Amino acid sequence: MKKERFEQNCIPPGFPFSSELTYFTMGSLCAALYSLRFVLDYWNARCALFRQNPLTGEWVLEEGAQIASFSEILGSALNGFLILACSMLFFAALHYQFHFRGSRSIYLMRRLPDRWELHRRCLAGPVLGILICAVAAGMLFLLYFAVYRFATPQECLSPLGGELYGRA
Amino acid sequence: MVELNILNKRYWGKRALENISLCLPRGEIVGLFGENGAGKTTLMKCILGLLPFEGTVTLDGKPVTRKNIASFSFATSEHSFFPNLTAQAHRDFYALHFSHFSDQRFRSLMDFFSLPMHQTIRTFSTGQKNQFEVILALSQGADYILMDEPFAGNDLFNREDFYKVLSGILEPHETLLLSTHLIEEVSGFIGRAILLRRGTLAGDLSVDDLEESGKSLVDAIKEAYHYRADRVSRAIGELSGEEGEK
Repeated sequence: MKKERFEQNCIPPGFPFSSELTYFTMGSLCAALYSLRFVLDYWNARCALFRQNPLTGEWVLEEGAQIASFSEILGSALNGFLILACSMLFFAALHYQFHFRGSRSIYLMRRLPDRWELHRRCLAGPVLGILICAVAAGMLFLLYFAVYRFATPQECLSPLGGELYGRA
Repeated sequence: MVELNILNKRYWGKRALENISLCLPRGEIVGLFGENGAGKTTLMKCILGLLPFEGTVTLDGKPVTRKNIASFSFATSEHSFFPNLTAQAHRDFYALHFSHFSDQRFRSLMDFFSLPMHQTIRTFSTGQKNQFEVILALSQGADYILMDEPFAGNDLFNREDFYKVLSGILEPHETLLLSTHLIEEVSGFIGRAILLRRGTLAGDLSVDDLEESGKSLVDAIKEAYHYRADRVSRAIGELSGEEGEK
């Protein structure tokens, strides 16, 4: 219902919204999957903190070992969302261009009494997409930071990491 | 009343309209004539504010802005509808945005032209698309209806229907500015003819005055354009002369 209302009011009339929605959903999934590289990198960094006792086979924390900073491990893990957000600019341009396809509906849109109608319909979707990307990236950032903070042995956290969550 | 005062428009430095000043009172049916590139479409787009220009265009003394833009409707041969929407969806869209939208007129005209309500406009034939474009312009509830070559691609019978509809349904307060090359066809139904030539106003003729003087609209227009009736026969003569020499 909400999707229908959004489509009716915030998308250029007649624009193939479901294709755009499919693209965005797939893009979000890919960005989320790509961000999982943080888990892999973190796991490798965390494993490097330990060494195996050759006699007992037990994993023990190496003395003085420090894990890489959070930003180093995070690297480009969230860049998928940045790329997806940037592609929203392309969709905004596509929405405007849509008013020149098959007819010149731009003439109608530009002479509507509501001056914002055209811009709302062309920009609302992409802006919402950018916001969703920002929120998703922000949530993953917090989640990954929480993993970094709580799954890493305290003594291995770098001073910068310590400052970040008030240990300095 | 719509007033154009010293309207000038240039495209990349090239003159498209020069010093156009004229008035369009309410209730007139006005023909806008001129050769290709004379500036007819540009003039309409300037009135609607779709193009930047120098000079002024006012509606009842006020500049044309979003506040009074609904007083104008526009039917263009380029079409301004949404091809992927149905006629019903257009009706809803227009009713939402134009407070004076006439649902009754819309439905009557859809019936008259036998156009389907629940079919996307892109599936219509060219003639049907033109009809639908005109229906939207007539139903919007505007006082000034601007039509730019609305019959391009329509057959004679279709056009005859258009003229009947236009002359039959227009209210006394509605003004129609009709740009077309079909001078003879519309001559019986317009009250005034505005002539453009290379971006300038070449004439502003009252059809009543022409009738009184016993001159036809076509002849008056030819006169205004300094049309040389013998130019075709001369050209043919020259060509055949050349061939004869060979």
